Amino acid sequence: MKKIIILLLVTVTFNCKDSKRDNGKLNIVTTTTMISDLVQNIGGDNINLEGLMGSGVDPHLYKASEGDVTKLVNADIIFYNGLHLEGKLVEVFEKMESAHKTPVALSDAIDKRTLIGSEYFASNYDPHVWFNIAYFKLFAQKVARVLSEKDPKNANSYKQNETKYLEQLDILETTIKATIATLPQEKRILVTAHDAFSYFGKNYAFEVVGLQGLSTATEAGVQDVQELAAFIIEKEVKAVFIESSVPKRTIEALQAAVNSKGYAIEIGGTLYSDALGNNGTPEGTYIGMFEYNVNTIVNALK
Amino acid sequence: MNSAQIEIQLIASLVAIACAIPGTFLVLRKMAMISDAISHAILPGLVVGFFITQDLNSPLLILLAALTGLITVILVEQIQKTGLVKEDTAIGLVFPALFSIGVLLISKNANDVHLDIDAVLLGELAFAPFDRLFIGGTDVGPKSLWVIGTILTITIGLLIAFFKELKVSTFDAGLSASLGFSPVVIHYGLMSVASVTTVGAFDAVGAILVVALMIAPAATAYLLTTDLKRMLLLSIFFGLFSAIAGYWMAHALDASIAGSITTILGLLFLMVYLFAPSNGIIAVLYKEKQQRIEVSLLTFLLHLKNHSEKRERHVNHLREHINWQKVRAKTVLELALKNNMIVINNDIVSLTKKGDKFTTQAIDYIITNEDAQIEGMKDDFFLFRG
Repeated sequence: MKKIIILLLVTVTFNCKDSKRDNGKLNIVTTTTMISDLVQNIGGDNINLEGLMGSGVDPHLYKASEGDVTKLVNADIIFYNGLHLEGKLVEVFEKMESAHKTPVALSDAIDKRTLIGSEYFASNYDPHVWFNIAYFKLFAQKVARVLSEKDPKNANSYKQNETKYLEQLDILETTIKATIATLPQEKRILVTAHDAFSYFGKNYAFEVVGLQGLSTATEAGVQDVQELAAFIIEKEVKAVFIESSVPKRTIEALQAAVNSKGYAIEIGGTLYSDALGNNGTPEGTYIGMFEYNVNTIVNALK
Repeated sequence: MNSAQIEIQLIASLVAIACAIPGTFLVLRKMAMISDAISHAILPGLVVGFFITQDLNSPLLILLAALTGLITVILVEQIQKTGLVKEDTAIGLVFPALFSIGVLLISKNANDVHLDIDAVLLGELAFAPFDRLFIGGTDVGPKSLWVIGTILTITIGLLIAFFKELKVSTFDAGLSASLGFSPVVIHYGLMSVASVTTVGAFDAVGAILVVALMIAPAATAYLLTTDLKRMLLLSIFFGLFSAIAGYWMAHALDASIAGSITTILGLLFLMVYLFAPSNGIIAVLYKEKQQRIEVSLLTFLLHLKNHSEKRERHVNHLREHINWQKVRAKTVLELALKNNMIVINNDIVSLTKKGDKFTTQAIDYIITNEDAQIEGMKDDFFLFRG
């Protein structure tokens, strides 16, 4: 018995350094769909990209599957959001540095002092940084930089893709500002399932209220619902929003609470917060998702 | 298959064996739920250990956690001893209290460390290969493999050294005490092993899988054998089988590994529960049916013996007089014929010599209130069972 174990241990130890790149391209693993989309845009055909989380998967509650093991074993670079968005996964990534892999927390590109901090813990920040396009541009630059370092022969291509993508993000920013400008200031109140839109709110002067806390793992209490219902009636908010990666029952409970007080509120639509839409749909890209969200919000609140 | 996949299966297999051994004794001692209690109650030990060392990898954590596990067992026993509540109630009182102390400690003081409840209860086997141990700069394999390997070696060593004591104290505590090995010491020794195993495995596979691996294989094995050694071996086999099969199920479905292993454990139990040769549901149902027919047969033979008149012994009369349905009457008649208990001439049924002897003996037993003897007699007389 023990001999078998020792034998297996030896094979395991000596097997560790195989299974690297198959077709000469860098193997990249990403966590959220936003990051997958970004890396695909910069890397193009020069990389093999595997995303851990699919569309509609809530990164706070992600559970690893067997297939993810192989993806991670083969990875050269791992791009992740950081700021505790991926929870325990981050620790796993950090440990991988010893296994000759490069984990990259894209949020490291952002100056922490500009981030929205947690009320309770000094070193904790709101991780939903992709709702600030300026931050997402920093992400793009960081991805391009890391890819060029690891794969210098395609550096030109990465640079070109980066420039092109940054231009698209600039256009996105302009479009969104124009759309939001049609919504009067007093109507800019965004009520959603969890606190994912703080950066969005800060940038475009929305008052943002989330029913659950920063992490979708926390549950909304009865009192939270009642207080929020009173707030909605007081401010005459027209619509509240569901999020694609969060069960809609809490928002429906909120709607019921508001309705029971004799005020009609509608559900303004589904917003994409922690994950993009399905591949192949416009909402399946970061840019499409952002436009869709803004249109949905503005149309419902007008 | 890449090295990470081999390592995961290896870790899962070692955990399965390390759990099956204490699990077998827990199931035999009817203390299966104590493993669940321990798995939850270790949380405050882990948290306190972390506060002292500020290091999640410190062995002190395991030590303190195992200690809380023991405290759980002692508390459960103290509450139970009062006689005011039953053991399961005592378990239900103790571990939520300890667990919630752990939760409170975390939420007040250590909100952003990995010590969350999810991590304790659901550990992630998929990532175990990436947490590696380095000795002098060389990679010697995943850390959890070494932790579990060490625990398993100690467990096996203790099992071999104290097998006799464990056996006697499990089945007869009184005898054990009179032979000079204190059942209390053995009891706490066993609980310590269960505690240490739970703690050592929680990081790699999570407490839920530990509980499943302790209880399910042993419970399954218990359906198949009552021999302690064989039960141990069967538990280990079932644990190993589930670990490997569960892994490949997860591979095929691209699903959670711990979830798949637990599913296989459940399915395995269900299969054995249904199809076990002597205690399985199907075997029991079959035996019951057999017994019903044999009782009918006996009634029928007694009827024949009591009535010499032809009217009462006509084949068709069976249905009318004894009020049987056609099918049952036919089955009973055929069984009697096959066993040479009766002969049928012109639709008139009569007892053979053998049938007569069997019936006489059966009546004797019934009169002297020794019905149980009839079961033994059937083996002597029956060529075919019902």
